[in-house]
Amino acid sequence: MFKRSTFSTILTVAITLLFLILLLALVRLQIVKGSFYQVVSQQNFVRIKTIPSVRGEIFDCNYRPIVLNVPSFNLYLRPGLIKDKERVADFVSKEFDVPLEEVSRIIINNRYRLYHDVLLVENISYEKRVRVAEKLNYFPSLSFRNETIRNYRYPNHFSGYVGKINPEELKNNDNSHYTINSHIGKTGLEKFYETALSGTPGYELLQVDAKGKNLKFLHYNLRKEPAHGANLILTIDNRLQQYVEEIFPKNLNGAVVVMDAQTGGILAYVSKPDFDPNMFVTGISVEDWNSLMQDENKPMLDRIIHGTYPPGSIFKPITATLGLEMQVIDSQTKLAECVGGLQVGNRFFKCWNHRGHGFLNVTDALKYSCDVFFYDLSTNFTLDQMRDFTKANFVTLPTGVDLIGERKGFYPTHQWYRDNYGKHVSILGLKINMSIGQGELLVTPLQMCAYFNALAHDGVWIRPHLLQKTITKDQVKLYQPEFKDLPLHRQNLELIQDALYKTVNGLHGTGGAAKVPGVDVYGKTGSAENHMGEESHAWFSGYASWEEPEISFTVFLENGGGGGRVAAPIAREIVTFYNDLKHPKAGK
Amino acid sequence: MKNFNWSALVLLIILLLVGVFSIYTASTTKIGDEITTENFYIRQIFWIFISLIMLYIIVRIPRQVLDVLIVPGYVLTVLMLVLVLFLPQIKGSHRWIGMGFANFQPSELAKLVTILLTAKLLSRPHQSDWQMIYSSLLVVTIPALLILIEPDLGTSLTLFVSLFAILMAGPLPKFYIVIFLSPLISIVASFSLPIFLVLLALLLWYLYNQRLGWVTMMFIGVFNTFVALISPVIWHGLKEYQQNRILTFIDPMRDPFGAGYQIIQSKIAIGSGGLWGKGFLMGTQKNLKFLPEHHTDFIFSVIGEEFGFFGCLIVLTLFFLFLFSLVRSIRKLKRNETYFASIGIVTYLAFQIFVNVGMNLGVVPTTGIPLPFISYGGSNLLINVMAVGFVLKLINERSIFG
Repeated sequence: MFKRSTFSTILTVAITLLFLILLLALVRLQIVKGSFYQVVSQQNFVRIKTIPSVRGEIFDCNYRPIVLNVPSFNLYLRPGLIKDKERVADFVSKEFDVPLEEVSRIIINNRYRLYHDVLLVENISYEKRVRVAEKLNYFPSLSFRNETIRNYRYPNHFSGYVGKINPEELKNNDNSHYTINSHIGKTGLEKFYETALSGTPGYELLQVDAKGKNLKFLHYNLRKEPAHGANLILTIDNRLQQYVEEIFPKNLNGAVVVMDAQTGGILAYVSKPDFDPNMFVTGISVEDWNSLMQDENKPMLDRIIHGTYPPGSIFKPITATLGLEMQVIDSQTKLAECVGGLQVGNRFFKCWNHRGHGFLNVTDALKYSCDVFFYDLSTNFTLDQMRDFTKANFVTLPTGVDLIGERKGFYPTHQWYRDNYGKHVSILGLKINMSIGQGELLVTPLQMCAYFNALAHDGVWIRPHLLQKTITKDQVKLYQPEFKDLPLHRQNLELIQDALYKTVNGLHGTGGAAKVPGVDVYGKTGSAENHMGEESHAWFSGYASWEEPEISFTVFLENGGGGGRVAAPIAREIVTFYNDLKHPKAGK
Repeated sequence: MKNFNWSALVLLIILLLVGVFSIYTASTTKIGDEITTENFYIRQIFWIFISLIMLYIIVRIPRQVLDVLIVPGYVLTVLMLVLVLFLPQIKGSHRWIGMGFANFQPSELAKLVTILLTAKLLSRPHQSDWQMIYSSLLVVTIPALLILIEPDLGTSLTLFVSLFAILMAGPLPKFYIVIFLSPLISIVASFSLPIFLVLLALLLWYLYNQRLGWVTMMFIGVFNTFVALISPVIWHGLKEYQQNRILTFIDPMRDPFGAGYQIIQSKIAIGSGGLWGKGFLMGTQKNLKFLPEHHTDFIFSVIGEEFGFFGCLIVLTLFFLFLFSLVRSIRKLKRNETYFASIGIVTYLAFQIFVNVGMNLGVVPTTGIPLPFISYGGSNLLINVMAVGFVLKLINERSIFG
């Protein structure tokens, strides 16, 4: 027990000692080494330099390039060295063809980043660089750097593109990863795999004075190496992709997807018209942007996952399966006679073939694509039953493909009709329309391709994907696809497969135009009526089998006309090309 | 008010004004002729206003009222410390409760109520030494652990340092200093067996001379041996990054892109201030944005840069005179509870001043403790001024309550 007076003395001494320690440290810093620190502070000798990581490149399944980094001369600004703001802005604007307001805006926004270089102009041509180099001496705040820029080898809808990071993205992402000069994936694969592609930048601590002498403030870990981004190896086959681009009808808009039936990997991903992603890398000009936006063919629309359309008759296998699975019909059941349509209540629902198909079983109904069979079949189910079954086949649900902004399509509920069409809406006619893929039903081409792929792949649905693997210096990571069962029994699956085979190969099957000698082609045509134009949307969806099913495909042509006439021949050419590529001996 | 310590209050107000002044320049960026100031200093003035009103209330309000509030205040604070762990992180830790206009730090309140409760417990009559140690340790450890999890090592340490000072100030015999410090020494010594054995022998010999019972001595000996044996095991059981974290705490220079860089920049700022400083608003290092914290934890580096050695000396002298004035008055307090509480509060203020300035000068590990009365921050300022209010009140009322 200390006495009050003793303890207060102890406390005073202790506090005095601590303050003396602080005083000594202060004397050392400000008086003994003051002039040294003054120099260090004026010249900013000590600072952290970021070593950017190299963004991963993107290749097709055979390591052929899709997205590369190519050399680029870029112009940088160091705000701390600006002498005359107006002159710098004027010079940059004139020499490099950038609007004066934009340069001024960049200068104003970054005026406090005294010692940071700010990216001003990218991808400057060699000639310009040589021409301007001499004048640059008058502007110490400007400097060139040899860097790289993204280069997209061909116009497409899946790669997406990178662009300059915007303030919001900079705020939402981990600060240490990005600087104001960073590029970031804005859409497509570039955005979906941003983390893997971008890697992690490294750092270096600079502590060297003007004479090159190491100031030695810190002794450890002065350099942290960057982890470069992973290269993406896609399932895309550039040869097939290129071929599909070539044969795509020049006067039509639409989409073609080809999938590997065994892995779910997408081999070709073509949505037309398309655009050149390179336009976006350095910032798209206002005129280019306006012309893209005002083009009525909507080149920015990825019709494979962002467009939703009525599927028409390629939807019929789902209605057929529901009938088989619910045991409403079996392989031999014949439903109402097709007399060019079906009278239901006071309404006559037309078949596409006004001469009529007569009495058909399910196989023939699919083969001839008779509407009446499915009209009649659908009267056995409630709307919500049909809806749930459709969703159980992963149609009108997002597939979860590795891209950004996929839409899910639409299958209305009974309640939706009540809310939108009134309480006493008669559901029967709406349901009948839906059974042949018309009405309010909307799907994406990718959903249909994944569905037909599942039919090919023993009734097992595989999540469609573009990535095969990522490769970094240390490891190779394979994409792990997800498998799910379709709700159908084997004998029913085989029945549907048989019908799809006969659709293409049987006498008078609607898909005859897709027939390829020596290859087993399966498929279903569709001609979907729609509000977009006079002509129906032309659909053809199916798969091709050699020893086993190898590819599945969906061809969709916006207002292209009849599926059997317009879409099926494209499928035939794709299968033929693939056959020549992979099975050069077969079918010759 | 004949006992009122006016000099301490005047020094406090001067320090608060120095704070506003420093925050103003710390949050001002000057490039060429363009000057922009963020409005932190206005908010600080607002908080000073609130704090001084609270100080006045504490000095004026009857002691009995405050006395009744201590236990519920403590329970409430512990509950808030638990709550804060379940709230989303702000700036990487669970320290703040967002309240719209301001973020409140329960750990600040914890310092004050824990010290008051500890003082209350230790001043109860007829307790054995160990009873006092157990009860006060329990009261301090609960909030200290919760604060440690946030994580806020600095505040957690502050609590233990205050407890140590209170225990030393009064209730316990002197040799307990040795007992308390022995496990710390054992941890350090454990890496060399001979040194540990010599120290252990010295400890036991000292305790024997203090006429401690055999059982107590055995217990202390065994406990220290246990600590010494387990420390290397724990150390080698840690993952490398965990070891690095501890080493970086002791030596921030090991982390050149984090704490090390901050401290270098702080040293460059202070050092470049030289004898007279670069002048008001003329600092350049603060513009580098090497830290988002110039107006809070690293405000001393801004003072050092702009006002030089001279300015720093004035600030340190103000702090020293302020503490000195309080310690002198505290000596006269006769009642144990008021004495203990005042000792605890003065210790925690002194500790925070030393740790913060030391961190800015690069002589003390980085802990994230702000500089009392100077750094920007609502709840920190409020609690520190209220704590001073308590001491001033206790000193003022000593003639009545002893």
